[in-house]
Amino acid sequence: MNKIKIRIDQKEFSGNAGDTILKVAQENRISIPTLCHNDKISPTTSCFVCVVKDVKTGRFLPSCSATITEGMEIESDSTEVFEMRQAALNLLLSEHGGDCEAPCTIACPAHAQVEEYVRAGKNGMTLEALKIIKKRIPLPMSIGRVCPRFCEKDCRRNVIDPGQPVAINEFKRTSADIHFENYLEELPELSAPKVAIIGAGPAGYAAAYYLRLDGIGSEIFERLEKPGGMLRYGIPEYRLPKAIVDKEYAHLEKMGGITMHYNQELGKNLQLDQLKKKYDAVILTIGSWKPGPMYAEGEDLALGGIHWLEMIARNGWTGENPGKTIVVGGGNTAMDCVRTAVRLGSNEVWCYYRRTEKEMPAEAIEIQEAKEEGVQFKFLSAPVKVEKKGHRLAITFQEMKLGEPDASGRRRPVPIEGSEYTVEADTIIAAIGQQTIPPEGAKVNRWKDIDANRKNYHMEDNVFAAGDCVTGPATVVEAVAAGRIAALGVKAYLEGNEYQEPYTINVTRGLWQSLKKEDLVYLTAPVERTREALEFISLYDRKTSFKEVTLSFTVDQLKKEGERCLECSCTDKSTCKLKKHAETYLASPDGILGVKESYNADTRHPAILLDRNKCIKCGTCVKICKEVVNKSLLGFGNRGFETNIITAFGESLPDSCADCGECIENCPTGALGWKIKS
Amino acid sequence: MINRIKIGTGSCGIAAGADEVLAFFQENIKDIDIVEVGCIGHCYAEPLVEVETDTGSYFYSNVQPNIASLQRILNLEEINQLTFPKVRKEKELVKVSRLAGRINPVSLEEYKANHGYKALTKALQVAPADVIDQVKIGGLRGRGGGGFPTGMKWSFLAKHKTGEKVLICNADEGDPGAFMDRSLMESIPHQVMEGMLIAAHATGATQIFIYVRAEYPLAIRNLKIAIEQLQNTKLHVIDGREIVITVKEGAGAFVCGEETAMIHSLEGYRGIPRFRPPFPTDSGYKGHPSLINNVETFANIPVLINEGGEKFAEVGTEKSKGTKLFALAGDLKYSGIVEVPMGITIGEVVYEIGGAEKGSVKAVQIGGPSGGCIPEEHFDTPIDYDSLGKLGAIMGSGGLIVIGKQRCIVETARYFLDFTSRESCGKCTFCRVGNVRLLETLEKITSGNGTEQDLEFLEDMGPKIINGSLCGLGKSAPNPVLSTLRFFRSEYLEHVNEKKCRALECNKLVNVYIDKAICIQCGACLKTCPVNAISDDFIVDNTVCTRCNSCIEVCPKNCISRTAGGYHE
Ligand SMILES: Cc1cc2nc3c(=O)[nH]c(=O)nc-3n(C[C@H](O)[C@H](O)[C@H](O)COP(=O)(O)O)c2cc1C
Ligand code: SF4
Ligand code: SF4
Repeated sequence: MNKIKIRIDQKEFSGNAGDTILKVAQENRISIPTLCHNDKISPTTSCFVCVVKDVKTGRFLPSCSATITEGMEIESDSTEVFEMRQAALNLLLSEHGGDCEAPCTIACPAHAQVEEYVRAGKNGMTLEALKIIKKRIPLPMSIGRVCPRFCEKDCRRNVIDPGQPVAINEFKRTSADIHFENYLEELPELSAPKVAIIGAGPAGYAAAYYLRLDGIGSEIFERLEKPGGMLRYGIPEYRLPKAIVDKEYAHLEKMGGITMHYNQELGKNLQLDQLKKKYDAVILTIGSWKPGPMYAEGEDLALGGIHWLEMIARNGWTGENPGKTIVVGGGNTAMDCVRTAVRLGSNEVWCYYRRTEKEMPAEAIEIQEAKEEGVQFKFLSAPVKVEKKGHRLAITFQEMKLGEPDASGRRRPVPIEGSEYTVEADTIIAAIGQQTIPPEGAKVNRWKDIDANRKNYHMEDNVFAAGDCVTGPATVVEAVAAGRIAALGVKAYLEGNEYQEPYTINVTRGLWQSLKKEDLVYLTAPVERTREALEFISLYDRKTSFKEVTLSFTVDQLKKEGERCLECSCTDKSTCKLKKHAETYLASPDGILGVKESYNADTRHPAILLDRNKCIKCGTCVKICKEVVNKSLLGFGNRGFETNIITAFGESLPDSCADCGECIENCPTGALGWKIKS
Repeated sequence: MINRIKIGTGSCGIAAGADEVLAFFQENIKDIDIVEVGCIGHCYAEPLVEVETDTGSYFYSNVQPNIASLQRILNLEEINQLTFPKVRKEKELVKVSRLAGRINPVSLEEYKANHGYKALTKALQVAPADVIDQVKIGGLRGRGGGGFPTGMKWSFLAKHKTGEKVLICNADEGDPGAFMDRSLMESIPHQVMEGMLIAAHATGATQIFIYVRAEYPLAIRNLKIAIEQLQNTKLHVIDGREIVITVKEGAGAFVCGEETAMIHSLEGYRGIPRFRPPFPTDSGYKGHPSLINNVETFANIPVLINEGGEKFAEVGTEKSKGTKLFALAGDLKYSGIVEVPMGITIGEVVYEIGGAEKGSVKAVQIGGPSGGCIPEEHFDTPIDYDSLGKLGAIMGSGGLIVIGKQRCIVETARYFLDFTSRESCGKCTFCRVGNVRLLETLEKITSGNGTEQDLEFLEDMGPKIINGSLCGLGKSAPNPVLSTLRFFRSEYLEHVNEKKCRALECNKLVNVYIDKAICIQCGACLKTCPVNAISDDFIVDNTVCTRCNSCIEVCPKNCISRTAGGYHE
């Protein structure tokens, strides 16, 4: 038979009469994206993601259905074709409803696979959970204790039990407590390059850890005598026992290829320009260690919160009774200071804050626990003067009222004329945030933090920077997230590339605050149970010792708590073709906005989930059931924008479908899925 | 001497009350024949009665079912007598619809008496290929919208020498505002039948389907009667083949007028189009080669065969031959059906035939909801397939809607897109979702929330929808938006930048205002306002008013009006 000759992207190919353009392209390894094309069924010609341009006629053709003709000239990789495919994908996304990833995973600054490790924990597979966690969170014992729990704030369980999200962080803490010491990840051989990391805090840890996972060794230079940074010298013992920090860092050494140097301070016995020469790359993870000013007269008489905590820490969490203590500030450091003062024996500890409790940046739970421990609060008061009063100190405050919201959205405190009052105290601590002390030779931004590219944490030359010293004081989890990206940045740099995070999309049903119970989609109906409570040590112990305040969940508690998880992510997130092509063609769920149809998920079948919100109306399932399975249990309903898939007589699919599942296997998205996730 | 009285009882006549007139006349006239006929195209004048006398016909318009009206007619008085607008007579060229409304639709004898089935006889005497040649020479192009050369399509079917072959008459007529096909089927069903039988001879077809929308009961009835008459007289036996003719009622989805969707629907499946090729002439109904032509296309055939291809081709332009029926509607005086020679200008149809007032017209929408909007300055454009295409419009099936100056162009585009987006079959991404996104953008603009980026979105997405849709519906749905954007961009910009609708049609962009200098404080408006937006001292609270216009309609002094400038969230 005579072959038909065509050209695709200026290269000549041939095929048989009746062959589609797609077939010829595929045979010749030209990749054309398809959603609705399926070799098992007659063409559906629905998605139009496979369009190509017929140069001679100027027409765009669905390559899955258009057959080749002699002398045809096809364009499949031009800008025009790219834009057509992108537009088709944007349109499909604009009517697509669902959640690619669970909201918890999206909320986590490190994007740890939350739903997956919660599920592992629920099944009692705590080692599995730890492995998933450590893909993004290398300090799980610490973060499992001190994280402000971004994930839990967005957890969908809040829709059912407001204020009682799944206790996600406990999954890290317990899994790591059990396995951390015995588990060592598989490590590749070390390769030649060496990286210097300045600062052994969480960001430095993460950078060293993820470099090592890629076979790159490092030397860590630490200013203080022990590693841990804020974990050791900022966060008090009762929240994060230092024995735990020791274990985490012991792991780093156990990995091999990472060497620690202590008492090495940049600008003193360590010079950046020398490091730059000596090492293939340098990562600055020096943190933010300078206490912020109160802007009050005589403020030198007050102690800086972070300095004071560091001092107590070096003393092994012992120290003199500070007497009547006034802590100025409303953040987590302020809470750490007041609660530490209580433990050092003070029986009158005050927190003064210039706005109200509602505006306090500290975690609500910290404020709550401080109150339980007897700390007193005074709001709407800003310090104006500190002075000596005999052997004590006196601090003068001015009263405030709340005015207009400022850039952060919180209402700005406005001083009230003539409202000054003075109180006496033995110790005054200023816990007004921290600032970075940029090393000589570092680029800085207008907040005096190190100026690094946030995509890969590259500063300049072979220097990278990550963590608080780039962002200003933030959280441990944000520091490890940045440290990991910096490691990837360095790795790419060493290979002569520039790291760029892969483009990903996430379709979401929205934050839980915008959802009602009916909007939730479950694989299995979730248990009705309130959040497992953490066990606390006695209040007496809390007030008189630095013992850890709470006990880790037991595995049984994890199992029970895990059953509360709604398993929000899509059953198809790793195989969804819509997501995959959208990411290739840079389409986005916000690319084109408009109304979406909204359907209740059909969960009637014991094993199969039919979620029409995710359907792209290609009808592959309809044809599979009819042409391959010979059953015709699925069909189309409605027209136009309201088109959707209907089941025979609107009934649930029969039980026997559980043995077939052809429609599920061939659905290009997660509209049809098994009610089980692995 | 009155020979007989004809009453137009096509759907248009019935809608105007012809049924009652018929009943009244039948009761009160005993000695004169009363015949029901179809539509002569002057729909604005219904109910319409024709009185046939020895000296010619007299027409009476807007006839009432009462004695006075009847008496005047029987006395051939001049009151109510209809003199057809003169220009219309001059400009029209009535060939295909010559018998419509003039003969009893369900009388085979009457059709035959008017040269009916002469063309079939003539065709049967020559070889099929010769018939196709005549159709080619005549240059007839499909009247269903696409304008594909009919003779060529017939030859595609004829080239299949064995097996069953199917003819399908497309009588789905889904364009809102178009009713030419209905009128032809109701008024001269036999002429349509004759065209199909000639096609059956020319192509060797073995079976005929007529796919009529179910909303056309009278057409269906008349077609079925005609089929029975054919069977009784054996006229349906062509070249020894007994042609099975079946009327199928369509459920009224616009897209079922698309040929591949129609075939799916005939086969009993969901009416959705498929990719072509294969074309129906190679693989159609149940895989048999199938030919689809429009009602008007078939109705042209007996005319063409009777006068011969060469004569037929004398009318029209180089590439568009013959006459075309148009359904005139919108802001003009004489709405109804007209038959005009191809090549007549838009202006001649709108002003001279349609009687629209010069200066009152903004544009015409030609080609139905998926056609394009042509502005007044292009009214000298000849109506033919190619000239219209150049302006972003299409001939379509023959809907011609006149858009007066008082209409908002954005709202007009929105109106058409609202129809097409609802009628999308839902298969193609671009058509199903894209058109809804265009519609939402237009709604944003008419409600005063549009931006210039929205216009850019329309201009970017519109062509993509055209390029990325499978069938003619998606491929043409953005036409009204794109053509109005092309010709009336300033009106769009006014909505977007000045929050102004110059036609005062967009509710969100107007206020309702009472001119107190004229107001006589009669209180009529107060009483009629459904939301109590008018205060006791006759001031409209425009934050409450829903712009329903009730007060404007009820005011005896015409002192209430819509005014520009109110932009309301
Ligand atoms: C959405 C859509 C609707 C259509 N509706 C009709 C219709 O109502 N009547 C018709 O004759 N053709 C209609 N057509 C055109 C037919 O597909 C086909 O071209 C026509 O029937 C062929 O007949 P012709 O060659 O005699 O014009 C439609 C096409 C599309 C894409
Ligand atoms: S319910 Fe489970 S999956 Fe959903 S947000 Fe909460 S933890 Fe994540
Ligand atoms: S273009 Fe629209 S109507 Fe036509 S097949 Fe595609 S979705 Fe259906």
